Amino acid sequence: MSGSDDESPVAASAGGPAHERRAPRTAVAPLTLIRQVLTTREGSIVVITVALTVYFSLSLSVFFTTSNFENLLPYFAPYAMLAAGEVFLMINGEIDLSIGGCYLFAPLMFYEFHGGGIPLIPCVILALIVCMGIGVFNGFVTAVLGVNSFITTLGTLFTLEGLTLIVSHAEQLEMPGAQVTTNSTGNHITSFASAFGAGTYSELFWALGIVLVMQVALTRTRWGLHTIAVGSNRIAAAEAGVKVRAVLIRNFVVCSTLAGFVGILEAVRSNSITPDPGAANSVLLDAIAAAVIGGTLLAGGSGTVVGAMIGALFLGVLQDGLAIKGVNADYLDFYLGVAILVAMLINRYVGRVRRRSGLG
Amino acid sequence: MCEGGQALAEDTLPGEVIVAPVSDADDVLRVEHIAKSFGPVTALRDVSLHLKKGEVLGLLGDNGAGKSTLIKTICGFQKQDSGAMWLKGEPYEPRSVDHARSLGVDVVYQDLALIDELSVYQNMFLCREERVARLPFLDRRSMKKEARAALDEIGIHLPRLDVPVARLSGGQRQSIAVARGVYSDADILLLDEPLAAMGAKEGAMILELIARLKKEGKLSMIMILHNYVHVLESCDRVNMIVDGVITFDKPAAETSLEELTEIVVDEYRRARAAANAEEVAEAAEAAVLDPE
Repeated sequence: MSGSDDESPVAASAGGPAHERRAPRTAVAPLTLIRQVLTTREGSIVVITVALTVYFSLSLSVFFTTSNFENLLPYFAPYAMLAAGEVFLMINGEIDLSIGGCYLFAPLMFYEFHGGGIPLIPCVILALIVCMGIGVFNGFVTAVLGVNSFITTLGTLFTLEGLTLIVSHAEQLEMPGAQVTTNSTGNHITSFASAFGAGTYSELFWALGIVLVMQVALTRTRWGLHTIAVGSNRIAAAEAGVKVRAVLIRNFVVCSTLAGFVGILEAVRSNSITPDPGAANSVLLDAIAAAVIGGTLLAGGSGTVVGAMIGALFLGVLQDGLAIKGVNADYLDFYLGVAILVAMLINRYVGRVRRRSGLG
Repeated sequence: MCEGGQALAEDTLPGEVIVAPVSDADDVLRVEHIAKSFGPVTALRDVSLHLKKGEVLGLLGDNGAGKSTLIKTICGFQKQDSGAMWLKGEPYEPRSVDHARSLGVDVVYQDLALIDELSVYQNMFLCREERVARLPFLDRRSMKKEARAALDEIGIHLPRLDVPVARLSGGQRQSIAVARGVYSDADILLLDEPLAAMGAKEGAMILELIARLKKEGKLSMIMILHNYVHVLESCDRVNMIVDGVITFDKPAAETSLEELTEIVVDEYRRARAAANAEEVAEAAEAAVLDPE
C-alpha cells in the first residue's frame, strides 16, 4: 500500500516536469504488478474463483474434466449474458428485475410467432423486438415518468410472468426447432438448435461474444462512458450534455433484449418452454448476484461486464462442485449464500485497498 | 456605450433602478427580458444583457440573486419562461446543452459538472468525445494528448490523466472544468465562479489564462466572480444582478472598488430596510388580529 501512495496524482500536482516528480519504483516493481492485478476490479473475484476451482479439482477427481466443464456451462453461460445487461443498468444506479419476465416470456412469444407460420430465425427476431418494447416501457416509466426502477421492473416482472401463465395455460410446451431426432448414428439436433443453445458450446460462445461486446462498449465507447457518467453523477452528466433519459432507456432495452435472448437459448437447450415463474425469479436473482459478486456496485457509477462473467463462473463452479460433492440439496442454497457473503466481504476489502493505493 | 439605462419592469422595488444595456450591432449575444421561476420562487424577473465579441463581462450579485440561473438559461440547461435571446444576430433558442455547444456556447458550472468515476481526460472530453475514424470506439490516445496539451497551457501539471477526478484536489478539479470549457471551440464561454475552490496560485493561473484569451480576442466571456479585485482586473464591463434584475452596467475602467462596494452595501441596507418593514407590517397585522 505505502509504495503506491507515492504515485498519488495529488501528491505531485504542480511544478516541474512529470519525470522529476515521480517517486522511484525500482525495487517494488514485481510486487506492484501483483498488487495491480489483485486490485483491478475483477482481480479479487478471479482469485476467489481460481481458489475454489483448485479446491474442487484437488478434492474431486472428476471436477477438472471436459465432461464436467460441459456440465458446468448451463450453470454459468446464461447468467454471464443476463448479468452483462444488468451491469449496465446497475452502473446507471438502476436495476432491472423484469429480466426474469423477459426470460420467461420471450420463448413463449417465439412459440406463438412460429405457430403463426413464421420461420425460426424471424421468430427469434420478433420475440426480441417484443423484449425491446418491454425495455422501452421500463425505460420510459423510470427515466421519464420518474418511477423507481425497482418498482417499475417489479411490476413488469409480475405482469410478464402472469401473461406467460395466461397465454400458455401454465402448461409446458415443446420448443419449436429444438426437437431431437434419433437414428442409428445417435441423437441429432437441427442446425438452428445447435446454434441457438442446444449445441454443447453454443451458449458458451454466445456468452463470450456478448460479454466481449458489452465490455468493449462499456470501456471503449461513448455509450459506456455516458452510462458511467449517468450512474456516477446524474446532474453533472446532464449539465455536461449527456442525454440522461436516452442512456437509461437504451440500457433498459439492451437488458430486456439480452434476457429474452437467453430465455430463447435456454428453451432451445432444454427443448421445452416451462412457464415456471419461480425458476425465472431464481435465474433473475442469480444474474444480479453474479453482477454484484463480479464487482458492480448496486449504488451505481462503477462496474465491469467481465467481472460479472467471472461472478457467474464463480456461482457455476460453486453449484457444480457442491453437487458433485454430493452435498444434500437442502444445504445447497445455504452454502451458496454463505459463499456469496464471504466473496463479497473479500471483494470489499480488496476494493478498499485498491482505492487507498490510488489505482482507481 | 452603456451609459443609457432605462427602467423596465413595472414591479420595481423602491429605490431600484433596472438597467437595460444599449446593444450594438456587433453583439455576439443579446439577452432580452428573460424571466424564469421555479414554482413559487422567481429567480429571474427581467434580465437584459449583451456581450460584444472578445469582451469579458463580469456578473456580480448576492447569493440567490439569479446569476447561476441566468448562466444555465444561456447555456441551454434550462429554458426561460419568457424573453428572448439572440446569438450573432440570429434568434437563439438552445434546446439542450449539447445544442448550445454546437452553436458555440459552452459553460463551466459552479458545481463543475465533473464525473468522479471518470478520468481527467474522459471528463474533459465528455459529450465531445473523439472517435477512431468513423468507428464507435473512443480515440483515447488522441484525447489524452489534447487534454495534456490543454492542461499544460494553463500550467496545471498532473502526472496521470487516467486517474478518476475524485482523487484530485478542489483546485485541480476546477482547472479541469475550466480547461474543458476553454478548449471546446466555443465562441462564447460562460464561467460560473471559475475561481471557487482554488488556491491563490491556481486562481492566478486561471486569471492569466483568461487575460491571454481576452488578448487573443476570439472568445467572448460572461464570468461570475465574487472578488471585486478580480472583476476589475479581468473584465471589460461589469453588470450587477439583484433579485433577478440587472441594476448596474458600467465598463470596468469607469468603476472602482469603492463604487462596487458602496453599491453592495447600499443593496444590503435596502434589503435590511425591506426586511424590517416586513417585520413591522407583520407585527402590525398580528396586533390587529390579536389586540390583547
